[in-house]
Amino acid sequence: MLQFLYQQGAASNLNLFPHILELSAKKNASIQLQSFPEQVVEGVCIYFINEGRFEWKINEQPHVLFPGDVVLILPGQKFGNEKGILDLGCITWMQVKFQKLESGELVPGKWSGLSDHESMAVGKLLTLNSNPVLSKLNDAGRILHSIAYEIHHHELGFVTRINQMIDELLITITRQLTKQNNPPRDFPKVFMNLEASLRKDLSHQWSVEEMAAIAGMGTTLFNERVKNFTGFTPINYLINIRISEAIKLLKKKDVSITDIALDTGFYSSQHFSTTFKKLTGYTPGEFRKNNSYHE
Amino acid sequence: MKCIITIELGTNAVRIFAFDLNGIVIGSMKGFYPTFHSQPDYSEQDPEQIFITMLYVLKNLLNEKIHPKKYKVASICFSSSMHSMLAVDKHGVPLSNAFTWADNRAKNEAKEIRGSALADAIYDSTGTPLHPMSPMLKIAWMKKNDAATFKQAGKFLSIKSYVIYQLTGEYLIDYSLACATGMLNIHKIAWEKQALDFAGITPDKLPQLVPVFASAGTLKKAYQNSLGLKEEIKILVGSSDGCMATLGAGIWNSNKATITIEDSSAVRVVGNKMLHDEKKRVFNYLITEDCFVSGGPSNSGGGIFEWFAKQFGDFTTAYDIESCMNNLLQEATKVATGSEGILFLPYLLGERAPIWNPDARAMYFGINIKHERQHFIRATIEGILYEIYSIGKMLNEHRNISSLSVNGSFATIPFCAQIISDMFNKPVDVTKNANSVSIGAFLLAATDMGIFKSLDEAASQIEVGERYSPAENNHKIYMKYFEIFESLTNKLGDEFEKIAALQ
Repeated sequence: MLQFLYQQGAASNLNLFPHILELSAKKNASIQLQSFPEQVVEGVCIYFINEGRFEWKINEQPHVLFPGDVVLILPGQKFGNEKGILDLGCITWMQVKFQKLESGELVPGKWSGLSDHESMAVGKLLTLNSNPVLSKLNDAGRILHSIAYEIHHHELGFVTRINQMIDELLITITRQLTKQNNPPRDFPKVFMNLEASLRKDLSHQWSVEEMAAIAGMGTTLFNERVKNFTGFTPINYLINIRISEAIKLLKKKDVSITDIALDTGFYSSQHFSTTFKKLTGYTPGEFRKNNSYHE
Repeated sequence: MKCIITIELGTNAVRIFAFDLNGIVIGSMKGFYPTFHSQPDYSEQDPEQIFITMLYVLKNLLNEKIHPKKYKVASICFSSSMHSMLAVDKHGVPLSNAFTWADNRAKNEAKEIRGSALADAIYDSTGTPLHPMSPMLKIAWMKKNDAATFKQAGKFLSIKSYVIYQLTGEYLIDYSLACATGMLNIHKIAWEKQALDFAGITPDKLPQLVPVFASAGTLKKAYQNSLGLKEEIKILVGSSDGCMATLGAGIWNSNKATITIEDSSAVRVVGNKMLHDEKKRVFNYLITEDCFVSGGPSNSGGGIFEWFAKQFGDFTTAYDIESCMNNLLQEATKVATGSEGILFLPYLLGERAPIWNPDARAMYFGINIKHERQHFIRATIEGILYEIYSIGKMLNEHRNISSLSVNGSFATIPFCAQIISDMFNKPVDVTKNANSVSIGAFLLAATDMGIFKSLDEAASQIEVGERYSPAENNHKIYMKYFEIFESLTNKLGDEFEKIAALQ
């Protein structure tokens, strides 16, 4: 296998790809001290194990990696080998800089061909992921090797093609991690995982596509499963959570109604007021007046 | 045209049914709410979400099925799962989530009281077993472990009491649900001082005791408007899900017992006096002054079989868990009665009746080299049902049970209904309706309206479905195995405790 290491700023062939921080392939034939210490990463790192067996610590958790595994490390996470050693074997990796929106969400960035909606969903799912190792994902290895081929050969349209392949890589990984985190046999468990994600980030404007992706299914099947299980459409179930949380906040004196509306994910206090009144018969203000406060 | 609406605040979901006055279902809807397990023994639900979900489902049902057809709602009758506990401040604002029946955090309090001289006195007056699920013990837990919340609490409510308080502004609890708190003196129909002392509270900290037929008060104006309901609608406090499932199965003042097996199970009988069990294993819930639902609950049931299916089922052909369980049932039918000698103790979740041991754990026993996969499938089902039989056997010490009625998703599977009949050696009637709780609540409301003269008459309206008759031969085989099942369970006390301590 061809070995190479391109880093942004140092390698000229990344000039056309400011979002690629690093692209590399390494065949490690000898154990060297301090060759692979734990460090914090800046972008989204995708490692593919071609050969060998690696012991890494990722985000404070120990993992053992085998050929075919993909490792996903998120910005700000620490990873490396506890003893600073890179085990024998062969790995390919890429580090992509993600763009941070004003709202705090991570998205791939302008170079990407993903729609705004898809970008948000991919960013959301990657950051929500708690298990950094995706097993048996040889497709990811194949895409990484194709990207390396394009960057070495500079054939017609290679810039577009590389960016497309990075998109493809991100989609492949995102799909796999939702599949891996959601065993198809246990929908209640899948739903409760989703439930917890919604609560953790209630102010986010969740779309059905994002929710379905977390559950690891297409929107049609997802809608049907949720309706069957909860009695509600996904969006109406989400409204249930929003209103329940809003009620708790309304019963506390110190939070303004506008803040409650935004914290619980309504577009505006107007939207909150209308939804709340339709369901309870009270406007949020009336409800607050009628329900005594915590001292 | 008038109609009756029943609202069941169940373990995982609210189920709302609308019936016409002949008992025909006009419409039904459900709404799921989650249970949170922040620590192993904790099981909590958000009271606000339960209320909002209930309101949302009720509104949808009224707008889609009731108002367009010009039905006039005559009454609304509540039922709910038992043993929930919610502390609210003096303004009625929840201080934390509600603890559900499955919350076991009060296990030390349960151990403490079981070992004390108080245990007999409290069982004599309340007629309910001493178990961590009991709100009496949950309150005692809070006093000791969360003193700040305990001190701030103005009332300790059940989830149903909270929902009713939201709708009408009244703090109420019916007799039957009050029994499930472990604090009601069922002879005096008043809060039992010794139980309250143990919990560390006075009667003013509890909702007002009322009969199941009591009015819950007037619906608040805002809800009248948002739901499109009239002020004069009667809201019945109603009862618990267990008692309503019994009424809805048509079992009332007879020698028939009813077996409910959903995820968990219960065997119940109805009579005019408390069943006083020396070993304090039997619960007694008061419905009216002279009517008790008595029996034993079990943690085993369909939930155990579902666990088996998830671990060992074949998902290559099965589309989902239901179809996988159906395939397993098919395989189980091919094995002879008694699973050719494999026994399964189903205590994956500890056990309530009849052994009341939260440390009990499951096992397969008697495996030999010839046993195959399908033997384990059948053994699992038989093990769950031996456990049900052991509760029936306990009740039979107090009451001569002549026949059985089964309901719930697991018990009504024909294969299971036949095994139950064989084990008990008694005829088994399968209840036709899947929604016994709602039918029970309908019968209660209809009796209140004068459609039936009494609950007895109401219960007699229930038509029974298919009847299963016992096969003498199978019964003999099952009894040989049950003897081993029972003695294994009894022998393993120490080992249960030791293994549970290691887990």
